[in-house]
Amino acid sequence: MLKRNVMAGAIVLGLVLPAGAHAQTSQQLDEIRKQIQDLKDSYDSRIKALESQLKQTEEAAAKAQTSASQAKQSAESAAQATGLKPPASPSAFNPALSLILQGGYYNSNQDPNTRSITGFLGPGELGLPERGFNLGESEITISANVDHLFYGQATFSLEDGFINTEEAFFQTTAIGHGFTVKAGRFFSGIGYENSQHSHNWDFVDDALVQQAFLGPNFGIDGIQASWIAPLSAVYLEFGAEGGKPVEFPFPDSDHNSNGFQVATLFAHVGGDIGVSNSYRFGIWGMQAKNQVTDQPLPALDFTGVSNTLTGGNDKLWGLDFVYKWAPNGDPSYRNFKLVAEWMHRSLDGTLTFDSTGAALVGPFTANQSGWFVQGVYQFHPYWRAGLRYGQLNEGSYDLGGGLAGAPGLTPPDFTPKRWSAMIDWSPSEFSRFRLQYNQDKSQQGITDNQWFLQYILSLGTHGAHKF
Amino acid sequence: MKTFLSLLGLSALLTWTGTALSAVNVFACEPEWGALATEIGGDRVSVYTATTALQDPHKIQARPSLIARARGADLVVCSGAELEVGWMPVVIGQSGNNKIVVGKPGNLEAANYVPLQEVPTLLDRSLGDVHPRGNPHIQWGPQNIQLVANELTRRLDYIDPAGRAYYDSRLASFTQRWTQATKRWEQEAAPLKGIAVIEHHKELTYLFDWLGMPVVGALEPKPGVEPTASHLSELVEQQKGNPAKLIVITTQKNPEAAEWLSGQIKIREIALPATVGGTPDAKDLFSMYNDAIRRLLAAEKPQS
Repeated sequence: MLKRNVMAGAIVLGLVLPAGAHAQTSQQLDEIRKQIQDLKDSYDSRIKALESQLKQTEEAAAKAQTSASQAKQSAESAAQATGLKPPASPSAFNPALSLILQGGYYNSNQDPNTRSITGFLGPGELGLPERGFNLGESEITISANVDHLFYGQATFSLEDGFINTEEAFFQTTAIGHGFTVKAGRFFSGIGYENSQHSHNWDFVDDALVQQAFLGPNFGIDGIQASWIAPLSAVYLEFGAEGGKPVEFPFPDSDHNSNGFQVATLFAHVGGDIGVSNSYRFGIWGMQAKNQVTDQPLPALDFTGVSNTLTGGNDKLWGLDFVYKWAPNGDPSYRNFKLVAEWMHRSLDGTLTFDSTGAALVGPFTANQSGWFVQGVYQFHPYWRAGLRYGQLNEGSYDLGGGLAGAPGLTPPDFTPKRWSAMIDWSPSEFSRFRLQYNQDKSQQGITDNQWFLQYILSLGTHGAHKF
Repeated sequence: MKTFLSLLGLSALLTWTGTALSAVNVFACEPEWGALATEIGGDRVSVYTATTALQDPHKIQARPSLIARARGADLVVCSGAELEVGWMPVVIGQSGNNKIVVGKPGNLEAANYVPLQEVPTLLDRSLGDVHPRGNPHIQWGPQNIQLVANELTRRLDYIDPAGRAYYDSRLASFTQRWTQATKRWEQEAAPLKGIAVIEHHKELTYLFDWLGMPVVGALEPKPGVEPTASHLSELVEQQKGNPAKLIVITTQKNPEAAEWLSGQIKIREIALPATVGGTPDAKDLFSMYNDAIRRLLAAEKPQS
């Protein structure tokens, strides 16, 4: 700027000053012309440089604009995606909701209403559907975090106009140190199958021993406390439960009394073997009071006269094992699952045994056991085949008091057993269609050939399943 | 002498247990986050990775070993965006560990710190196994790795304040090396621009987007649905009008469908690592990217 003014000043001076000195004029004129040309050249090149700078800046600005608008777009989509936009409605905190639809077709030469398991007392429901087409239970599960301390979940099953509360519990999320406390109504943590909802079963029905001793899902209204040991390499868990058993040991058991009517203890150990194998062992025990008075025992009804059991306890204990294999630990294409459980039950009370018309009364204990093994092999992303065998041991009766030596009061000479074979097709994790055949010899004198077709569909949030 | 030796032994023992006890236990859902945790955390972290590159994170179950590991974790790092929705909620819920609950500093969901692509405008299960928040396979975007590295360092600084200087300096070193490597990869991969590909699942979307390779089709008719004969025939038809030059799957997937299609339309089929560990050369994040680009460049060359 200064240079320019100086130059301009010099030009002006140069033009004005030599007005009267002609002798050097032409040389000076040439010099002046040269200087003007130099000035012009330098200004030209400067302008060119400025122009090209301006062009580059404009291009950069245009680029910046495009990437700014791109950034805005991706920021918007990021905001949408990460939910940074404020929630539009109060339903933003709604819990996760899912609906399970089940149903199918049942074919058998035996009327399911006449079926029973010979020699077994208690919640021995076979849970057989009616023959022909049938609608199974529809299940609704609702879950959410309650606040910074608790998580809540409920599962209701609807069948034939009845709503049954399968589970409705809350559990702690913030205690830490491996502790979790659960309270409300929940499936007991004993065994392996016991805590699985029916729509997660690998077969249409549950195993014989589960049906005979615990019913489909033995539940407790009460409290469960569990603790996982701080061993990284091995999974070791201990748990205890207490409360009131749900419809147990008999469907009409009356537990209206103070204190605990059931207590359980269980322990699990599990882990991986290499990348492809994982397992879990369990051991458990349970004791429940039987508050029912005069419980008719059709299983002891050999002469058509009703016999009744009063009071007493139902003590069970058992072992469970589950093993899973998948090549390289990836179950997508092929995998295998093995489950085995064994249970022992000791049911005692005061029995009035009236078979001969002379009512004999005395303490009575039935010691029985049972087990099952099942394997399911997935051989294609959508197809699985499974085989299961289960049997029950009629065991022995301990008799005392007036019952001692009572004729005919012995366990039936019979071993209830059942074979099951199934194949299922699951085109996604939300739908499953199953065909199953049972050769059911759990009732003395008959072979029940059972055929099942089943569908299980899940809508809505599909929660994660346990191992 | 004896006193000196026992003091020496005691201090050695204390140092050893001190280091072992103070190591931050990191539970990484996928190998890319385990590798990143090692880059940033170095000696101060003990990393357990829940899955391998050969396992589909969608199909993992909450098995006892994962729960046992989560029990002792100080920090859980997962991709998020519902990739692990089939198992992590149970793992966390059953672990009895209140440090790793969602929302706590000990729970890092990588997808929360990264701009996600393919955010669906319509959510319905008829469209397949669609992730509501967008494509969660974010490990293939180099900018994504940097963003997660920054957040991971913040978390480690918070959980282990004594190691702050260490983590920050490792982040600076990682950032410098990663930035340089990214520039180099972009230069090396320049010949790949514009080469159309067919992928299996949408697990390499971020890689193809970064390298400017348009994806013209997928072997899966819908996300999460196995390749079907009818859909593969459609791809054969499509090759006439909208040709792809490569079929790119990962070593995690069954190659049958890709091999069949490759034979039908006479284009090359290659497998990239899905993540760290997917191929013998993909040992960490740098070599994972190296190996992928090397394989793509080798496939792009004219067949000899």
